[in-house]
Amino acid sequence: MPKDNHHIFADGELSRNEGTLRIDTLDGETEYLPVESVDTLYLHGQIDFNTRALGLLNDHGVPVHVFGWKDYYRGSYLPKREQVSGNTVVEQVRAYDDTDRRLRIAHDIIAASIHNMRANIQYYDGRTEDFGSAVDRLEEQKARIFDTTEINELRGIEATARKIYYRCFDRILRDPFELTKREYNPPTNEANALISFLNSMVYTTCVSAIRKTALDPTIGFVHEPGERRFTLSLDIADIFKPILADRVLFRLVNRQQVGIDDFESELGGCLLTEDGRAAVLEAFEETLDRTVEHPRLERKVSYKTLVRTDVYSLKKHILTGEPYRPTERWW
Amino acid sequence: MDEDDDKSIVDRYLAAERDPHRDPKTPITGLMVQYYHVCERELWFMSRGLDIDRETTNIQRGSYVDENSYDDRRKSYQINGRIQLDVLDSGDVMEVKVSSTLEKPARMQLLYYLWYLDEVLDIEKDGVLAYPKERKRENVELNDETRSEVENTIRGIIEVVERDAPPELEKKPYCDACLYQDICWV
Repeated sequence: MPKDNHHIFADGELSRNEGTLRIDTLDGETEYLPVESVDTLYLHGQIDFNTRALGLLNDHGVPVHVFGWKDYYRGSYLPKREQVSGNTVVEQVRAYDDTDRRLRIAHDIIAASIHNMRANIQYYDGRTEDFGSAVDRLEEQKARIFDTTEINELRGIEATARKIYYRCFDRILRDPFELTKREYNPPTNEANALISFLNSMVYTTCVSAIRKTALDPTIGFVHEPGERRFTLSLDIADIFKPILADRVLFRLVNRQQVGIDDFESELGGCLLTEDGRAAVLEAFEETLDRTVEHPRLERKVSYKTLVRTDVYSLKKHILTGEPYRPTERWW
Repeated sequence: MDEDDDKSIVDRYLAAERDPHRDPKTPITGLMVQYYHVCERELWFMSRGLDIDRETTNIQRGSYVDENSYDDRRKSYQINGRIQLDVLDSGDVMEVKVSSTLEKPARMQLLYYLWYLDEVLDIEKDGVLAYPKERKRENVELNDETRSEVENTIRGIIEVVERDAPPELEKKPYCDACLYQDICWV
C-alpha cells in the first residue's frame, strides 16, 4: 500500500507514545499518528520534539521536512540510510566527474524539463489563449540542448526556456492573479508566492525519493555540488515542477480554490496564510496520488511513484549504462 | 568454450572455497543460485548492488513464513558467510518457501547447499524442500544428474555476473511480482 504524506500545521509537541507518534497541540488537542502509515512527515508549525520521537521516525524510515517562518523550507531530518552502497556512490561521482557522462545526464534532465514545460503550455494553447509561438520557441530551446558541450551553456538554455514558459503564466492565470516576473526571496506577489511554495514541496518530494535509494543527494549533474541544497534533488525537481507544481497552481487559481485573501503581505513580501497553505497542500497531495498508466511497467502508477521511478532510472543508468529516461509527460 | 575450460571453472571455484586463505572471485550464495534460475538480469543487478524497493510486502511475507514455520525442529547455520541453511532434527537440510510456483529455483538453491556441504566441507546430507502454506514437502538429493545441474549453474552464474552489461530485458510471467520490477523496466 502506498503511504501518505502527513502535514502538521499546528504548534505543539511531537512525541513517541509506545510504537506510535503523538501530537499534542497548544490548543489542547491530542492526535495519534500510526508511524507505519506515514511516508513523509511535514512540520509547518512550531513543533517541539525529542530524540525518542526522531528514533521512532528513524526506525520506520520516515523523513521529516521542517518549514519555518511563513513556511520557508528550513531543512530536513532524514532517517539513517537503509540503502548504503559504496559502489553506487563511487559510480555516481565517476559519472559526475566524467564530462561526457555528466553532460549526457544533464542533457536528458533539461530536455525532460523543457518537454514538461511545453506540455503545459500546449495544454492551454488554443484553449484560452494562443501560445503557438511560445510552444515553438520552447521546442527550439529543446533542440539546442544536444549541441551543447558546456554545463553553463546548458543551464543558459534552461533559463531561457523557463523565461519563455513563465511569461505564459500571466495569461493562463485567472485575474487578479498575475505573473509578470518570477521573483522569490521573498516572493513579491500572490502568484510568485504560490510558485515558491509549490516548488519547495516538489523539492522535498524529490529529497524523500532520493533518500530511498543509495544515491548521494549532494551530487547533482545540472546543478553544482557547491550550492546550498541537495543538488541532485534540484536536478530532479526541475523535471517535476511543471507536472507537480505548475499544473496545481493553474488549477487552484482558475477554479478559485485559492483567492487573494489567502495571502498576506509583510515586509515587502507576499506569503500564503495558514488557510491558504492548507488548501494548496490538499491540492498538491491529491496530485501526488493521481495515477497514470505506465507504458513500460504496464500498471497504473501515482505521480509520487513517478518521482521514485525517475530516480531509479537514473541510478540504473549510472550503474549499468542503460538509458536514463527522465519523466516526460506522455499522458 | 570447450569442456576442459568448463570443468576448470568449477574446479577453480572449489579450490578457492576449500582454501581458508582466499575467496573465489565470484562467491556464490544460495540467493544467487535462486536468482540465476529465475532471471539472469535480476542476478546481474543484485551482483552490482542495485537496491530494491524495501517497502514491498513480498520480502516481509517470505521472511515471516520462513521464521515462523517448524521453528522448534530446526537449527540455523551460517557457513563461510556464503550459505545460510537450516538443519532438521533428522539431519536433513531444509529450505522453506512461501509457494511452489518457482519450484526449480528453490530446488537448485537447496541442491547447491547439499553440493557445497559435500564438496567443500565433506559432509553428506539429504534435503527437504518445504512449502508450509501448501502443506507440501519434497525430498531432494545429490546424485550424478543433480550434481552436474549444480555445476552448470555455477558456470552460468559466473558467466552472467562477469558480464559488463546486464542481460537484455525480457518479459517473464512473474515480472509483476519481482522486487526489481521498477528498476528493471523504468
